[in-house]
Amino acid sequence: MATTTADIAAVSPVSVPSRRASAGLWSDAWYRLKKDRLTMASIAVLVLLILLSAAAPLFEEHVFKFKFAQQDLLGAYAKPQLEKPEYLLGSDEIGRSQVVRLLYGGQISLLVGFLAAFIQLTIGVSLGLIAGYKRGLVDDAITFFITVLNSIPTLFLLLIITALFSPGPLTLIVILGLIGWTGITLFVRGQTFALREREFVTAARTVGASGSRIMLKHILPNVLPFIFILAAIDVGGIILVESALSYLGIGILPPTPSWGNMLSNAAGYFNLAWWLVVSPGVMIFLTVLCLYLIGDGLRDALDPRLRGAS
Amino acid sequence: MKQQSRTLRLLVALLGTLALVATACGPTGPTGGGTAAPDEKPVAGGRLIEGSFSDIKTMNPMLVADVPSSTVTGKIYDTLFSADPKNGELKPNLGKWTISSDSLTYNWEIDPKANWSDGKPVTGEDYLTALKLVALSKLTVRKSNFQDIEGWKDFVDAKATTISGVKVDSTDPKKFSVKFAKVFCPALVNAFGSSAGPMPTHVFGKYTAAGQADAIDKAPENTAPTVASGPYVFKEWRKGDQVILTKNASYFKGAPLIDEYVYKIVADATVLAAQLKTGELNYGTVEPKDLADMEAQQNLKVFKYQALSYTYIGWNVKSTTAPALQDKRVRQALAYGLDMDAVVKSILFGQGTKMVAHHPPASWAAPGAGLNQYPYDKAKAEDLLKTAGYTKGADGVYAKEGKPIEFSIVANSGNKTRETLLQVATEQYKAIGVKVNPKLEAFETMVDKLTTGNQEIQGWIIGWSLGLEPDPYGIWHSTQIPNPAAKTTGFNFGAFTNADFDKAIETGRSGNCSQAERKKNYETFNKILNEEQPYMFGFSPNTLLVTPQNLRAIDPGTFSATWNLEKWWFKQ
Amino acid sequence: MRTYVIRRLLYAIPTLVAIATITFLITRLAPGDPIRLFTFGATDLTREDIEALRAAHGLDKSLPEQFALYIVNAAQLKFGNSILYHKDAMSLVLERLPNTLTLAVTALVLQLVIGVPLGVLAAVNRGKWIDNAVRFFGVIGHAVPAFWFGLMLIIIFSVTLRWLPSQGVLTVGKDVWDIGDRLKHLIMPAFVLALAGIANYSRYLRTETLDVIRQDYIRTAEAKGLASKTVFMVHALRNALIPVVTALGGVLAFLISGALVIEQVFTWPGVGQFTYAAARQKDYPVITAGVMLGGMLLVLSYLIRDIAYAVVDPRIKVK
Repeated sequence: MATTTADIAAVSPVSVPSRRASAGLWSDAWYRLKKDRLTMASIAVLVLLILLSAAAPLFEEHVFKFKFAQQDLLGAYAKPQLEKPEYLLGSDEIGRSQVVRLLYGGQISLLVGFLAAFIQLTIGVSLGLIAGYKRGLVDDAITFFITVLNSIPTLFLLLIITALFSPGPLTLIVILGLIGWTGITLFVRGQTFALREREFVTAARTVGASGSRIMLKHILPNVLPFIFILAAIDVGGIILVESALSYLGIGILPPTPSWGNMLSNAAGYFNLAWWLVVSPGVMIFLTVLCLYLIGDGLRDALDPRLRGAS
Repeated sequence: MKQQSRTLRLLVALLGTLALVATACGPTGPTGGGTAAPDEKPVAGGRLIEGSFSDIKTMNPMLVADVPSSTVTGKIYDTLFSADPKNGELKPNLGKWTISSDSLTYNWEIDPKANWSDGKPVTGEDYLTALKLVALSKLTVRKSNFQDIEGWKDFVDAKATTISGVKVDSTDPKKFSVKFAKVFCPALVNAFGSSAGPMPTHVFGKYTAAGQADAIDKAPENTAPTVASGPYVFKEWRKGDQVILTKNASYFKGAPLIDEYVYKIVADATVLAAQLKTGELNYGTVEPKDLADMEAQQNLKVFKYQALSYTYIGWNVKSTTAPALQDKRVRQALAYGLDMDAVVKSILFGQGTKMVAHHPPASWAAPGAGLNQYPYDKAKAEDLLKTAGYTKGADGVYAKEGKPIEFSIVANSGNKTRETLLQVATEQYKAIGVKVNPKLEAFETMVDKLTTGNQEIQGWIIGWSLGLEPDPYGIWHSTQIPNPAAKTTGFNFGAFTNADFDKAIETGRSGNCSQAERKKNYETFNKILNEEQPYMFGFSPNTLLVTPQNLRAIDPGTFSATWNLEKWWFKQ
Repeated sequence: MRTYVIRRLLYAIPTLVAIATITFLITRLAPGDPIRLFTFGATDLTREDIEALRAAHGLDKSLPEQFALYIVNAAQLKFGNSILYHKDAMSLVLERLPNTLTLAVTALVLQLVIGVPLGVLAAVNRGKWIDNAVRFFGVIGHAVPAFWFGLMLIIIFSVTLRWLPSQGVLTVGKDVWDIGDRLKHLIMPAFVLALAGIANYSRYLRTETLDVIRQDYIRTAEAKGLASKTVFMVHALRNALIPVVTALGGVLAFLISGALVIEQVFTWPGVGQFTYAAARQKDYPVITAGVMLGGMLLVLSYLIRDIAYAVVDPRIKVK
């Protein structure tokens, strides 16, 4: 889940010669992005998934007319069918609608993913800027702390913390956010190192701008586009971790549906209803795939030194 | 009261324990005891592979505190007495005993044929060694079992070099006597049961020598026993994977017919059921949801018998945040308002019995007829609520002085049966005008809150797994109520108490120890519980034991499934 | 060079101390009490017994006292007795280390043996269908949730086809040295663990190889008349592998972490599964031993990686 710096190591904030008259980094990037059909498709699918999940109550009310906690012991293990719309993707061992629960599960998984990623980014960017700009003792301390954290297998740490503390969903988001900002910090730190030697930073310093002003107004905007790449990959990673935790029984606990705990539930009786194992996994896979593709696409758009492009 | 099992996911605590239970009433499984046809001749050979969700922790009886360890250790070290599988009556095993007229001295004589697997005889000295090891160990939880033996305290405090209350006969080393300082009815089970099976002095004696202190806790023989008094000898422990035992050819009841016994770790109930079908496992308990599948297999047979455990909904009868629970009539209404028969039918697929008091039907201490069975009766439930002074509000919930009957019930996640029971209870109580907030928590968190008397808990679903000894002191006596202020813990989570109640428990454990007399006290005890309903006593499940069709001589009962393990054989 | 190694080793010590401290804090600050959990349901125990047991594990002392004892013992790699197993915690964890290492090393080998050639192959055949196939796989291989993939493999290969066992290390009755049986048990978990890495390496190698192809010195080599194949083998791969070496350190971290979930899915008796079970049951000594072992392995692997990196690419000047 911690983004490997190897992933984005070579990306640098240099504007690139392009085949048309350069209009600046952002519009160049946007132009390339628009042409990248795969990435645009991924964005579309992701937006669709978000909308579907957000609209889960509406679907529950009007389309499927079946609440997510509603049981029907007689309709248990129903196969995916069209006759009963609420059993579009089948039903679980107490007759709950798989499709409605998937939509609600999406709410949880996406929410956890985005919120935790936001926390990670906030911490990571701040610490990275500070470490990169201030250098010296502050940098040493932060780097040491990062080394320590990186030396504990992340999932190990997460598993132990969640197993010991049995956190609720909000606490879980905070815990996920507090672990795994290290990759972002290292990257931002590296970028800040390079940027602080540039003329515009020296100029600002001469004029007497304060450290925080320089960091926020001059360095951060240059690093920001690449933060988005990190963010996309990050959210994907967190969704994978959250579903793994829920699968193990320590992330989101039932009856709150999460794609992870729906999977672990279904694994208990796949001999009776194997299709229930497929749908939550596909949802996780699709969401993460879109996020990774978006991250890739953004990277290609922002640094067209043709990393893997045509 | 035996240790609660601690398997990880899909806890099969109710069903999966091969806890020792007997069927007091009713016949056992469909194919009877797997008895061979009269002309079938037993043949030796084969391997019994038992499935489990959790690895063993130790093979020293005094350190055993979980079901897997107990299952495997029990095959290596035999105990002095054994229990009749069907009714739990104590019978001689390694030894036979008589009790003195003042009930304070037990005279034992070990079976002359009883030997260790290396040929040395099992003697009274071996029993004394076992006791000394318990006294010296710092990690055992069994010390209190022996505290009433004369001379115990002195030995534990290192003021004496032996336990004066245990005397081995100088002329016949197989005879020994044990004197207790006071009458304590559970002593027979506690002091001579599985935690006190004789331990080989020629192997463990060195740990009881002076100056050894707690060296026994680090003994390698704890995880690699070298000799056995039981039907199987330890061979190998592949950590996290399987434990392998081979037959003890010099077992005093006759060499076992099955060559090897393997205890195999599997992930969860689904995998276990799947492996029973493929034959990778040939001995295991399944959950009710797999029963139909197992019974449909031609090559398998299923034994169904009552388990000595029950799952219940407990009430915090002193709760200030849910004062309705303090009223007996409300609790009775809650008993009438839950259709437990329907629950047993749908969740357990019929494999269980409704409970209305503490001792499950299989136990000899179980109440006789005459108890209120609390049949499902919505009208009666609502009547009781009205009598208690509650009136139904516009929202359908009964309330008194503006306070509705509302409380939370918490169950541990990962246990499908309890989760479903929670949901059903919520729905059904809603129908009688009681608002329930269902909560799921991790087992560890729940245990914590319960044992410390955390007043957040108003209602909870959990189970008790009972042992041979029916003494309910630890669960029901007033001294066992956890007190958060005094930071004491205990198992009487609901804080139910009653003077007659305490007295019945106390007399039952330290009065006249004959089964008939004790039973009288437990009648009173159960009557009070039945009337006061500090728990909604839930159900006692059946154990569903699955083996292949060709396993002969197996005859499991509530109190023991493996009492005749050495006679089992596979028909080829 | 030597000073670099020594400096790195010295740096590792405070790292390990910090890890030990963090683990201690996490376990002790977590709510609940292991002894209470352990003795739940044992209604024949007296309070004195339980308190005596707590004292035997040192849990009755104050937190600072416990920490002082803990650090002194941790320095000698002694983490106390497991509350459940009544044996030294670190020895229990070490007993299971070979299993995890087998899994991790096999996964690593699979990653390199499958991922690297795939990447090179894709780069060499740029634009053709094989390139697209590898790129496609490279992307989705990351996004698949490992535990779900493992579950699907079990459903297909163990339950439906009955080709492979679904869990454990050895079949009952098989000898410990039965390599064939061991491999049958190893192949699925190792492959699931290796999946993300295969995807990673194939993309990586593809990019690096493409990069290298365009370098001038390759064109010079071609001009010199060396066969194209040899050119690639000798020059391209060597340079492309530099980043692979860097990534190896992080890979071990990922493998040990990821192995935990795989070990759960396949009931593989490794360190991860053991430590996790200990965490569920609040067996503090085992938790700390397991995390410290993981930490030590990682610190060691980062050290090896950094040294290897310095050796392989002498242009990298150490700070």
